[in-house]
Amino acid sequence: MNLSLDTRFELIEGGQVFTAADLRTRAENVSTVVTVTGDHPVADLIAALIAISENGTDLFVQRNSDAEILVPDQSPGRVWLQTSGTTGTPKWAGHDLSKLTQKIAAGSGAKARWLLTYHPFSFAGVQVVLSAMIGGHTLIAPPLKASVSDMAGLAEATQPTHISGTPTFWRAFLMAAPNLDLKSVTLGGEATDQGLLDALRARFPNAHIRHIYATTEAGVVFTVSDGKAGFPATWLNDQLAITEHGTLSVNGRDTHDAVTIDGDRVLFRGRLDSMVNIGGVKVFPEEVEAYLLTCTAVRDVRVTARPNPITGHILTAEIALDPSADETGAKAQIKAHIQTLPRAQRPVSLSFVEAIPYGETGKKSRAAS
Amino acid sequence: MSFDLVRTELTQILTDKSAPVVEITPDTVLLNGPLDIDSLDLATLVVTLEEATGLQPFREGFVLFHTAGELGALFTKAAG
Repeated sequence: MNLSLDTRFELIEGGQVFTAADLRTRAENVSTVVTVTGDHPVADLIAALIAISENGTDLFVQRNSDAEILVPDQSPGRVWLQTSGTTGTPKWAGHDLSKLTQKIAAGSGAKARWLLTYHPFSFAGVQVVLSAMIGGHTLIAPPLKASVSDMAGLAEATQPTHISGTPTFWRAFLMAAPNLDLKSVTLGGEATDQGLLDALRARFPNAHIRHIYATTEAGVVFTVSDGKAGFPATWLNDQLAITEHGTLSVNGRDTHDAVTIDGDRVLFRGRLDSMVNIGGVKVFPEEVEAYLLTCTAVRDVRVTARPNPITGHILTAEIALDPSADETGAKAQIKAHIQTLPRAQRPVSLSFVEAIPYGETGKKSRAAS
Repeated sequence: MSFDLVRTELTQILTDKSAPVVEITPDTVLLNGPLDIDSLDLATLVVTLEEATGLQPFREGFVLFHTAGELGALFTKAAG
């Protein structure tokens, strides 16, 4: 038994309140596959987590209902989550329930009200759900397709005290300006800039504000609470080091996150590879280029990630058309082709050029402007 | 940069996504207001404005804005 559900825990989902006792009853009759099709997907997830912690079976948390349930190896007591796939097929990743819960402290008395801003079936979402269950807090779960504006409305109505979200979530949440007094503000999943931290401090003067750095392999690496972007240079050591390529390595593994030292601070400068984070989704511009090249009217294409104040980055594309293509038809075809990509991967601005410039190395110059 | 450009580009985004086109004034709230747009639409608006003006008011990071008029003013300020 790896999961001790605090009896004070409660879930607010779809206008309904579920107590810890309600969820235990629900756990008596759950399937090992939780899907997003139910009316109360978070209640179903919690019931399933309770069930597997008691009977030691595997749990498949199916975010994309088209995905096949695979059983790569039978290691009971694992929570299988789907990685948010980009253009490829979503992959399953198994997590030991004991590992997911090991850093979560039991309730210390003070009951908090958490708003769930991550997809409940994502790694970050499950972490928030487990933290609230074990800590005996109230968890407020918005509908799965809720926009940040919807969440702001729900927050006004339910008055959470603690919110964890990506920098992209927080920028939009600040713009939506809910009437709220928070005790705790947590940022994770993308690098945080000083402007956002300052805006959060001004808007939520009573909140403890922290940003978390985590990697898929190492989990949470560190938490920064001093209100400044990056992290103190004094934290660098054998486990947390800067490689000769100027990237951060954690326990000897290169994270590909480029960093620079600025005075007493280590600041994040984007990725060594071309990966960018767009509204919390990891995107590789090359993948989008490869996809656009499958369009017959496209002779060559360069996809560039531009820094963006709302979503972190956004893609733009320069396209050289095939000379034999009919221009009007080709442009319409390309626009339709782009619409089939997931939203974060769609270039939002297209410019049509004679040819894509290549640098001296023969590589497309990809430096963001 | 005049507020008219913000209004024009915003109207275009609403039209492109077949959202209701409403009257946009400098006081129109961008998110959580009368417009049916989300973060990615707003990101698109900023790119369009940056490309149209050649200005980058967010070069140094995030600056909070709520209304169409406030966004226009950030571009005006960046023009110096």
